[in-house]
Amino acid sequence: MRGPPPRHPDEQREQLPPVEGFISDAAELAEGVRVVYPNQGVCTVVGIEEKDISGQKLQLVRMRREEDGAAVLVPRNKVPAIGLRKVATGGQIDGVFHYLAAQFDDPELDWKVRHRDNADRLIAGGVLGLAEVVKGLHTLSRLRPLPAKEREQYDNARHLLVHEVAVSLGVSPGLAEDYIDYVLMPPPGVTFDVPPPPAPVLLPPRPRRRKPAAEEEENVLGDLGLGDLGIDLDLVAEGAEAPEAAGEGAAEGEGGDTKEGDEGEGGAEAVAAAPAADEDDDDEAVPPARAEKAEKKAKAKPEKKAAAAKPRKAPAEKKPAKSEKAEKPAEKKPAKRSAAKAAPKRGGKKK
Amino acid sequence: MIRVVTLDELDPADLAFLTRSLYRAFGLGTEYAGDRPMPSGAEGKDGRVDAVALLRDVAPIRTFADDKVLYVASAPLSLPSGPLGEPPCWGFADFGKERALVSTARLPARGASESSVEAFQRRLAREAVHAIGHLWDLHHCVDARCAMHPSWSPHLPASPEMDLCPFCRDKSERKIRLAKT
Repeated sequence: MRGPPPRHPDEQREQLPPVEGFISDAAELAEGVRVVYPNQGVCTVVGIEEKDISGQKLQLVRMRREEDGAAVLVPRNKVPAIGLRKVATGGQIDGVFHYLAAQFDDPELDWKVRHRDNADRLIAGGVLGLAEVVKGLHTLSRLRPLPAKEREQYDNARHLLVHEVAVSLGVSPGLAEDYIDYVLMPPPGVTFDVPPPPAPVLLPPRPRRRKPAAEEEENVLGDLGLGDLGIDLDLVAEGAEAPEAAGEGAAEGEGGDTKEGDEGEGGAEAVAAAPAADEDDDDEAVPPARAEKAEKKAKAKPEKKAAAAKPRKAPAEKKPAKSEKAEKPAEKKPAKRSAAKAAPKRGGKKK
Repeated sequence: MIRVVTLDELDPADLAFLTRSLYRAFGLGTEYAGDRPMPSGAEGKDGRVDAVALLRDVAPIRTFADDKVLYVASAPLSLPSGPLGEPPCWGFADFGKERALVSTARLPARGASESSVEAFQRRLAREAVHAIGHLWDLHHCVDARCAMHPSWSPHLPASPEMDLCPFCRDKSERKIRLAKT
């Protein structure tokens, strides 16, 4: 149940091993127990009380934040979900100091990635995660000044870390901060011989940019934002098929008619479909179909189709970005057939 | 209000410079509130005084809500040893509370020349601003030019500034505004 909240409702929450001392049952919260509330700090459990909220009787765990005495109320059944944990033990604090003392000269330089990861670490709530944020941003601040947002994030993380270390070691926060900074910024000539730091906190993988499956299948032209321009996408979709139909027509010997057909089907469509059509025309400027026209009309149909397919595949190899465009119309077979049927009629008139 | 209390003798000129600097840094009235004796038995075996114990045992002065008290001593201070050793100590403060302590033992020697006196005064003011900053919930700062940068840091310039960086200044002003009674 640990980890940041899912960014999309249908996204599965990443299952990570819980942080050490994670409280999964509200029964552990006896009066006087000190716990760490992620992103809030150390709290003391005051007790469990029942409240009537909008007709529902809820059992709430009342806590008091030690720093300023603020009251925190958590529904008893939501305790496992919020990531409460026990105050860090001596072993964990040793790990934190070893981590802070370790050499670390490679901070994440991508602002977005860094900020996101640090936010995840703070939400996850582990004491080592706090140390990672402090160490990472401190190292970065040696290279360049921190932006205002990150300076604030650094201060928040430091505040939480200082208070937890203070509670865990049983010293005042001022002294705990001196201990932390002594390790983080040792005076000249001081070195620490420490064991290797603990393994870093696991963060959930980021979701990839989602594309709705329906949209992918339906129409790639939707990505161009033509709908926003007031252009009817259905017509554009037809237009995207037209070159194919035209290509078939050309393959059968009516190269001149294809252009007429394209223009005749609608102005808006012509704007959108022109590049595709032009490409096809360019590629078919020396169409094998015309050569065939000069030879014999009575050639087998499958051969002609193969000849028409060749020039269409060629641009897809040259420009991989447009490969989808070339492939998509081919999937819509019913429309293709109707266009293919129409073409011989026109060709027939010319005869 | 910031009240300065001396535990050992301090030159009036240094005291005047200190109160002026504190007023400039926090915008709060600062005054000398007299002297107090050093608690008996404060000195340890190594001749240093435990800063935490001293701050706990020193005689209090009369204060009002939101007053901060700065004790100035000349004895070298020590801190309890931490997980990876004992940090050097220029001063100590009860974070977010009302008492802080600075020592002149680690400051540059106050000689007879004007420049040495000025160096001493400036460093004393810097440590005092640092200690009072902790009382206003300021943490150590990553900016080496800020008065809240740790005093032992290798990045600290030879003659460190006694002013706060914009971030620490904003934060302290916010805290002071909220705390004003």
